[in-house]
Amino acid sequence: MKRSFFLLILIVLFLSLFFSSADAQVQVRLRAIHASNSGSSVDPSLRDLHKELGSLFSFTSYRLMKDEILNLSLNQPVSISAREGRIVLEATLVGLHKNMPEIKLKVVREGTEILNTQVRLLPGRTILVGGPRHLRGGVVIYALHARF
Amino acid sequence: MKDSCSSISKLLERYFDQEVTDRERVLVEGHLHSCPACRDALKSLEELSTFIKVPVEAAIQKEDFPWVWQKIEREIRLQKKLTWWQSLRSWIDISPLFRRKVWIPAVATVVVLLLITAQIIFKKTPSYADASVVEYVESETDNVMVYQLEKQKVTVIWVFDEPAKDQTTS
Repeated sequence: MKRSFFLLILIVLFLSLFFSSADAQVQVRLRAIHASNSGSSVDPSLRDLHKELGSLFSFTSYRLMKDEILNLSLNQPVSISAREGRIVLEATLVGLHKNMPEIKLKVVREGTEILNTQVRLLPGRTILVGGPRHLRGGVVIYALHARF
Repeated sequence: MKDSCSSISKLLERYFDQEVTDRERVLVEGHLHSCPACRDALKSLEELSTFIKVPVEAAIQKEDFPWVWQKIEREIRLQKKLTWWQSLRSWIDISPLFRRKVWIPAVATVVVLLLITAQIIFKKTPSYADASVVEYVESETDNVMVYQLEKQKVTVIWVFDEPAKDQTTS
């Protein structure tokens, strides 16, 4: 009786551990930015990134196209489209390494996969995925960072 | 008769204190029927007992013995203090839970819980020293460049989306 009770406790503990890791979820902020040289305006909601963008790129205008908080679940891809759906970024949480989310990113341009990468989101670090051309000139830049 | 009296008189005090066996009691009572001297001796014992018992009981009734309790309390205070281990042992000895020997699975459960808790604690303080931000980059259509700015904490993955594309993998 006592032994079976003890075994039951152990089973409950291991099951709770298993389910706690199985339902891992991560919040990621994803912003789609249209960077161009037409004009010299910077979207006010990109103030926190303006310095980095200015030091990295030579564009004069940065316009926010999308700003979304993605709730990524393990192996559940989430897609964000930009440039009227011609460029799609697909983000998939593939695991957690030392509590840091590992995310697979795919950029698809007009049905063709142009980028396949896997990144690890560290606290305070921003990942910029850019380069695909925008119809109105300039490029699309995606800015990602995990919310811990 | 005299011999009989001398052997009975040895038993008489124990008979009076009701400490004799059944056999001895029958013997004494049989002798008392036929021996007035021994009956007198028994009567003397009864009178002596009454003489002592009555005043003693009266004195006890009046006395509440406060000094006895004071002494007991002082002894308790002076008693050596137990160490934490002795206290634990004594608690274990009196606890019915531990008498039932369920402490082995209980300790095992606590150890498992500690292991789980430690895992969670260590998860929350990861080491970033060996952390690579970009694990891999692939592109079958465009050139890709990766660069990291440690000061700004920014990692850039740039796809060179040119009209004329090379078949390059980075």
